[in-house]
Amino acid sequence: MNVNVMTLRQQTIRVLSKQKAVIAIAIMLFVMLFPNTNFYTPLNIMNIFRAASPDLIIAFGVTLAVICRGCDLSVGSVMALSGIIAIQLINGGMNIGLAILLATLSGSVVGFINGFLIVHQKTEAFIITLGMGMLVKGVALLLTSANPVPAKNMSFMMISNGSLLGIPNIMLFMLLLGAFTYWLLRYTSFGRNLYALGGDYEVAEHSGINVIRAKWVAFTITGTYAAIAGVLLASRLNTGSPIYGDAIPLLVNCGVVIGGTSFSGGVGGVVQSFIGIMVMQLLVTCMGALEVDRFIRMLVLGIVIVIIICMDCYSIKRKKEDV
Amino acid sequence: MTDQLRLKSFNLGKFVIEYLVFIAIVLLVIITAIVEPRFLSAENFTNLMRQFGPLSFVALGMTFIIVGGFIDLSVPGMISLVAIISLSLVDTIGEIPAILVGLALGAAMGCLNGTILIISGASTQAKALFITFGMSQVYGALALIHTDGTSMNRNLLEHEMPLTRVLGSGMLGPLSVSFVVFLFFLTVLYIFQTRTFLGRSINYTGGNIVAAELSGIPTKRIMILIYAICGFMAAVSAVVLFSRVSVTTPTVGMNYERDAIMAVVVGGTSLLGGRGNVLRTVLGVSLVVLMSNCMNLMGVQSHLQEVVRGAILVIAIWLDHRRQ
Repeated sequence: MNVNVMTLRQQTIRVLSKQKAVIAIAIMLFVMLFPNTNFYTPLNIMNIFRAASPDLIIAFGVTLAVICRGCDLSVGSVMALSGIIAIQLINGGMNIGLAILLATLSGSVVGFINGFLIVHQKTEAFIITLGMGMLVKGVALLLTSANPVPAKNMSFMMISNGSLLGIPNIMLFMLLLGAFTYWLLRYTSFGRNLYALGGDYEVAEHSGINVIRAKWVAFTITGTYAAIAGVLLASRLNTGSPIYGDAIPLLVNCGVVIGGTSFSGGVGGVVQSFIGIMVMQLLVTCMGALEVDRFIRMLVLGIVIVIIICMDCYSIKRKKEDV
Repeated sequence: MTDQLRLKSFNLGKFVIEYLVFIAIVLLVIITAIVEPRFLSAENFTNLMRQFGPLSFVALGMTFIIVGGFIDLSVPGMISLVAIISLSLVDTIGEIPAILVGLALGAAMGCLNGTILIISGASTQAKALFITFGMSQVYGALALIHTDGTSMNRNLLEHEMPLTRVLGSGMLGPLSVSFVVFLFFLTVLYIFQTRTFLGRSINYTGGNIVAAELSGIPTKRIMILIYAICGFMAAVSAVVLFSRVSVTTPTVGMNYERDAIMAVVVGGTSLLGGRGNVLRTVLGVSLVVLMSNCMNLMGVQSHLQEVVRGAILVIAIWLDHRRQ
């Protein structure tokens, strides 16, 4: 029997499951051509990217965690906390640069602890980061007594809201971090090692890769990125609030998987995550432009998440059966 | 010979780790009783029994999921939807049928979760986590759509709800009615888990799903079963929940999944699956409830309580993995 011959149906399934995110974007853009909304205006397109920027930055970090077969559900709380820390320190009269540095470091610390618990103590990534997220959110609530904290310093606000050559700063930061992560994953031994240990942990370990260090660093970077996103978001909205990141972790992790970075580890990358997050963002924007009821929006988002994760699981199952 | 001796010798470290929750509970009770004598009053006892309420039912259901090696984040959505649907049906079909419909709905949603997981071939906890989170969004959105985002007031319904009233505030001797209902479910589920073939199969499936499959256990049916139990228990807790309060919001179930997972893990049921039972969960729920009661009595700020709760969850998960 010839294994290489696939039926048309199988081929279609294979192509569809690989390019599902691009197809989803194409369908949404096509649909938006018809209703008479100002979707296709430069301002709106710019707004979509601007709104997606914090999510994208977090997603770049989460990509590292997912590639080495983990995931990080504490990113939402880390994001909220770092924004609060930055604003409170600046309001307290600290130098802006130093305050932002400290706020970013808070994310690194959480990521470092996550990494320690996951790599050294061999806990399951998703459940321990869920717990860490709870803890960090508690700290954020404690710092603010659950109230939003407004920033008093105008120059802090300009970090995200300013623009260079017509491109908003927050987008520039996003592009910079994206390019950096792309380089990290593509051209450094650290990045290649991550793919190796995500693909097969044991094999990577036996081929002399320092798996513990690589995975640990990956989780630390994930935390750091989440904190950077938090500072930028706080600057854009000019407030820090403990409720910012509530829906973020699962949405971002789902977005990363939509793009094609699989939970089975070892595949994916920055570009895929970018596409995946844009699917989620476009979905939200399109439904907003079409004036869909907000509860129905929630319903659609839930159904989309379920379908996409199911497709990911299904393709993994098929791959196993094919072998 | 030496092996036998070693088995018989008393290992303090092992004992402490195995019964950590129990020791923690005893310590907590002693310390709080000394610091705050009101803790031992009869009023506080009734209060504690009430607080045991909704969380304990969810945690019992969650125990089966976690012992089976999975996880269920759809609990908040299920609780909200069951509470809203039951309440809105009371006026048309009467109180008891409405509650029964709610319970059936819970079990059906659980079955749906299990079926989706099986069809997609989601075999790990992480995948189950994301899929059930999505399902929670779906159920929660349905509850919100049903009421258009508004709350439902039980006292404004035309129909009298005697059963709900008894469940919410009735006393049976020194015990509250909801606590008696809890004891009933605990007994049934304990017997089911330890004395029946299906109940034991859940533990085997959680321990090693491949081995269970090969030894002829219908693992797929087991998966649907555990999710159905969890859905049903979430529905029970929804009923208990709306019997306690007069105004039910369509997001009433929020955070229950978190607390339930915490209670189960703190009780000593392993997240890796296969180990643990409902009695341990009762210990876990007791610790969670006692802890918040003690912190409230001592006037600990509510946000600090969040931090403590998160820290305890992280430590419990860490200890669970240390034990393996």
